[in-house]
This record gives sequence, structure tokens and C-alpha cells, in this order.
Amino acid sequence: MGYSDPTSSRDLLGNRSLLFIFICAFAVVTLLQQILYGRNYLKSGLQFSWQSGEEMANWTGSLNFTDGGALRSGADPGTRYFEFYEGPFDYNSTKCLELRQDIIEVKVLSMVKQTELFERWRNLQICKWEMNVTEAKLFKSTLSRCCNAPAFLFTTQKNTPLGTKLKYEVDSSGIFHINQETFRMFPKDMPYYRSQFKKCAVVGNGGILKNSRCGQEINRADFVFRCNLPPLSEKYTADVGIKTDIVTVNPSIITERFHKLEKWRKPFYDVLQAYENASVLLPAFYNTRNTDVSVRVKYVLDDFESQQAVYYFHPQYLINVSRYWLNQGVRAKRVSTGLILVTAALELCEEVHLFGFWAFPMNPSGIFITHHYYDNVKPRPGFHAMPSEIFNFLHMHSKGILRVHTGTCS
Amino acid sequence: MALCKGPRTRLPVGASALGFFVLGWLYIFPVYRLPDQKAIVQGVLLQQGRAWRRNLTAAAGFRKLLEDCCDPAQFFAMTKQNSPVGKNLWFDGEFLYSFTIDNETFSLFPKATPFQLPLKKCSVVGNGGILKRSGCGRQIDQADFVMRCNLPPLSRQYSRDVGSKTQLVTANPSIIQKRFQNLLWSRKAFVDSVKVYNQSYIYMPAFSMKGGTEPSLRVYYTLADIGAKQTVIFANPNFLRDTGKFWKSKGIHAKRLSTGLFLVSAALGLCEEVTIYGFWPFSMDLHGKFISHHYYDNVLPDSGFHAMPEEFLQLWFLHKNGVLRMQLERCEDDPLSHSAA
Repeated sequence: MGYSDPTSSRDLLGNRSLLFIFICAFAVVTLLQQILYGRNYLKSGLQFSWQSGEEMANWTGSLNFTDGGALRSGADPGTRYFEFYEGPFDYNSTKCLELRQDIIEVKVLSMVKQTELFERWRNLQICKWEMNVTEAKLFKSTLSRCCNAPAFLFTTQKNTPLGTKLKYEVDSSGIFHINQETFRMFPKDMPYYRSQFKKCAVVGNGGILKNSRCGQEINRADFVFRCNLPPLSEKYTADVGIKTDIVTVNPSIITERFHKLEKWRKPFYDVLQAYENASVLLPAFYNTRNTDVSVRVKYVLDDFESQQAVYYFHPQYLINVSRYWLNQGVRAKRVSTGLILVTAALELCEEVHLFGFWAFPMNPSGIFITHHYYDNVKPRPGFHAMPSEIFNFLHMHSKGILRVHTGTCS
Repeated sequence: MALCKGPRTRLPVGASALGFFVLGWLYIFPVYRLPDQKAIVQGVLLQQGRAWRRNLTAAAGFRKLLEDCCDPAQFFAMTKQNSPVGKNLWFDGEFLYSFTIDNETFSLFPKATPFQLPLKKCSVVGNGGILKRSGCGRQIDQADFVMRCNLPPLSRQYSRDVGSKTQLVTANPSIIQKRFQNLLWSRKAFVDSVKVYNQSYIYMPAFSMKGGTEPSLRVYYTLADIGAKQTVIFANPNFLRDTGKFWKSKGIHAKRLSTGLFLVSAALGLCEEVTIYGFWPFSMDLHGKFISHHYYDNVLPDSGFHAMPEEFLQLWFLHKNGVLRMQLERCEDDPLSHSAA
């Protein structure tokens, strides 16, 4: 269009257009700031000029104003609880309701500063946790509709008959034909049924577990999930416990630490022995690279005549879970194993307790912690969206669907 | 390509005529031709009547020859002594391809050749079909040291003919690849299949071919992982190459010697008395009856790789000279086993 007038393109990056662009950019940035840090940002500035005297107590509870004047009675816990604290508050006390509301109100992680979120979380710790049966039921029914772990968590002979063209989770990996040999490795049917276990513990490997003394509490659970072959040696058992019923293994660990099991196999077998009778769970059908290695694990355990069972995640289950969490705002290349296990646990257990799920560089009180309880190797950036997952757990904790442990256990 | 394009680059008529002439000449008067199978059988039958006597001087002389060229006592297997870390070795079955011994491989070698030298009486058992219904099992087992080739089956049905004792058995990496899926999947089948060899050494030519190294090492890992009674030792490529050269100078024209001949050469260097069984690469026995290629199956080898008849002739020559004893008949009614002087 502009070609008709050759001079019109001369001002393409001239003074006037540049100025216009700058103004636009500034406007966009301001707008974004408003949206992201939003009301807080404006209000806190506003309050300082506006409030006086008796309103002073409300300065951290600035969110109260956004509710359209629905003023709550209680004073702010952040400042007060040191004065009146006597013991854990009841779950349904107004104070706790309010504290929980504080977290639930944070819809997106970027809405508040991390420190702010930490503080609200820390404040909530004074409340006892109780399961909210209606919320939990609602959530579990959603899960059963989307994912249905009791039928589709593992590949079984029932849900993956001989000759199935199994689709890999990663699209580019294509399909895997279930042949006689693979089929024989699958269990007849899912070994677990819905809400089979009363109390489950899902143990992440977060550095927050270090010196937590939660081992006994974890061991007391009816069913314990662990991720990625975590070390359970003597010096960790006080913090992470020893009981294990399902342990997941990432094929990349086998590739790196055990040479794809093409050479020595005993070291790998010895590592698995540490989990006693735990079943081994592998994402064999995530992509083509994982399949051979995962199948080999079954052979290794058979060759050594081990009692441990080997299960493979059903790729469709993984797809459904990640789709579900994508809707909840977990945007990542892949959801983490921990999130998958928690999702499965919510369907298999009545009460789910999370240990060691904390993906921030510092604990809620702001003290720096290592990435894992056993080392400080950071993950590949941009693969998982851990903070966002944790944020979802905090939400669910506040709603009473599951319980997140971040402090020390008595 | 250039030949096809250019119209004037046809081969001259004279050159092609010369080529045909040479080919025709070679066809009619071959440079080298093995005696016919029947002729060999006839030659063997002529010898049969005479009593065989061990010729100690000839045996000692031949052992001296072998020691000079190949030194089996020291170089038979890869050991920590003869192949230190960082040593560069050439694959003997490849053209210009070498490898360096790294720490991981080095740790798999025994300190020194793990036999009690010198060995007294050795039996080297080939897999020829002539062993079938030979009844030589007892005689084979009487030796102190029994060597076998290529993981042969030793099930009960064969033990009367081939015996049950084994001290050393060779295994070709190709067998591991074909029969045991390279040991990449389940390894139980392999571990179970070598249980018949009891407490023996499994001798693997790990460094002969490029592709053979991985499977051979994997055999070691497999047996060590499971704590099996068998021990894996690896053939030294230098020994194999020297032995190959030695026999080549004696007139064996083949790409590669058979495992059997390697074993016989090693036995001649390591043992005082050597008897060989089942070395008979022909399709009929001494009485003209048809026999299978192996005592357990009739799978013929790829032609042109090994030169079995030539090897047989060499061994037959050694038998005639009393260096070793070659058992070709049935053993039962044969008190000859005690006649060795």
C-alpha cells in the first residue's frame, strides 16, 4: 500500500515514529505491571497515604479492600500471632479460614512476590490441617473423569491387549507395537483400586527434607511413593524414612549411571534392593529412547530372581495428566514425576501427604536450602515448571484436598 | 562413470583377450588345488593299519617351533602381565584397526595365564560329525585338560560320545549375537546354557573383530554379575595373529584359521600329550558313510572363510609324525589310549 508514495517510508524510523513507539511501549509495560502486580502494587502505595491510626493494623491485609468492603473481623495474624499464640488453631476457626483464603486468592504465581507468598504460607502453618471431604471428593471425581489412575496408571494386559499400537507420550516418537514379549511383562490388571489406602505419603526429593526429622511420619503412612531412585542410606533415614511401596526410576539415570544396563547389572540391582519390596515404576513409553532401557529393568530383576514388580506408566495416562495440569496453569515441557505421582495418589488414597515438595531456593522462612536433600544438582532449566506445581499444591493444601509438609515433624 | 560416458574409452580387444586367456589357463591348470575328499580318505585309510606311536622328539621340536613364534604359555590370553594399561593392540581380524587398553578393560584381565603349566594330557574336542556314535566320551574325560570349541552342546544324549568334562571352551561373539541377542535383554538363558561347562574358562576372541569386543566383555559382565563358576578370559590378538602367520607359512590358505586349529596350536604349546577328537571336515566317514557336519547339527559353514581340509591335512601330517594323536575311529573296543609311549 505504501508503495504508491515513496516518501512515506522515509519516516519509518524517524523521530515521530520512534517517539510513538516508545510511548506505546511504556503504555504496554505499565499496563502489564498493573495486571501482574496489580492491585497490590497500587493499593499499597495508596494505603500509605490514605490510612491513618486505627487502620494501621490492616496494612498487610491489603487484599481485604479488593473484596468490596467485606471487612473481616479478626486482626491480622502476621503481626498478632506472636502475641496471642497458644497452640495450633482449629482448622475451621475464622482465623484459619481467613489465612487459607489468603492463599487461595492468589490465582497466579506471578500475582504476588515470592516472599509474600512464603509469608502467607508461613502464617498458615499455625492452623491444623484437616481434610475437606467435599472439596476432596469433588477434586477426585474430576481426576477420575480425566485420568482414572485405578484403571490406566500402568500398562496392563487388560488395558493394553496384545497387538495394541501404543502411542508414545512424545508425538514424534510414533507408536510402539505391543508384541508377545512385551505383553508378557505387563501385570494382568492394575494391582491397586480406588481409595485403597487410608493414608499415603508422596516423598519428593526437595532439599527441604534435610533435617526435617519426618522419617517416622513417612514410615507410618500406609503407602509411600518415591521419585527417581532417591538414596535411602543411613544418614537420611531419620529425615526421609525407609518405607517404600513404589519408586519411580528415570531412564536417564539408568543411561548415565548404569550404562543402559548393557554392561554390569549387579550395581543397579543392588541399588534397587535398598527399596526392599517396592515396585519399580518407569515411563517406558514416554519416548523411544526410554523403552529399551525400561524393558531391560524387567529382565534384570527377572534374571536375579527378585520379587520386585516392574510397572510402566501408561502413556495415555501421562498425556491426560499433563493436559489436566496444563489447564490448571502448569506450563512446562513436561510435568514432573512428583506431580504425576501426587495425581495418582489422590485417586488411590483417601488422604495424601506430601513431603519434600518445595522447589524454591529457600525454605518458607527464607533460609537457603539445597535443591535435593542429597545433593545440589539443579535440573535442566525450562523442562519442568516446579514452582508452578508447588503453587498448585499449596492451593490444594489450603482447600483441604491434600497436605503439604514443609516444616519439621515432631 | 567416466568409462560409461566416453565413447572412446572401451577396453582394447587385445587386453580382454589376454584376460580371458589367463582366466582360462588358471581354470585348466590351477596354481594350487587340494586333493580330492576321496583321495584324503584313502590316504587316511592307508595309514589306519599301522600302530600310532608318540614321537617325543618330534613333539618337543614342534613345541619349540610354537614357542619361538607365538609363545602360548605367555600370550595365550590377555593378562595384566602381557597387556598393561595404555598398550595399543591391533585387531587381528581387521584391517588396520587398533584399540588401547583402558583401565576398565584392564581390570577384567587375570594376573597371568591362569593354568598350571605345563599341562599333562590334553584333549582337544572339535565338533565334527564323526564324533557321533563314537563312544569316545570316557577317553576324552580321562585327560587332565579338555578343550572344546564354540560352546558345543554337552547334554546327556551326547555325553557318551563327547564326554562331559571341560576346562576350556571357546565362544565366538557371533554366537552371543545370534543365540543370545547380544546379552542385551534377558541373560538367564545364557547363564543357564553355560552351566554345563562347570568350572571352566570361557575363551573369547574379544579383540579379533571390531564388533566382537562389546559382546565378549558383556559375557564377562554377565557371568561376574551372577557369580557364575565360569571365568571369562580373552584371546590375545597377538597370539592369534602369530599363530595365523605360522600356519600360513606351513601352507594354509584361508582368510582366517578355525578356532579348532588355534586351540590345537595352543594345546601343542601348553600340554605334553595332545589327543584331538572330532576334527574331520568331510561329509563321509572312513567307511564311506554319510555323516553330518557337526555331531549335533548339520549346519554347513560359510564357504571361503575357513580352509578346513587344508587344516586337516596339516593335522594329519602331525599325527603321522607322532606329534599329536588324532582319534578318527570309534573308541570303545580300542585299548590304544594306553599305548601312548
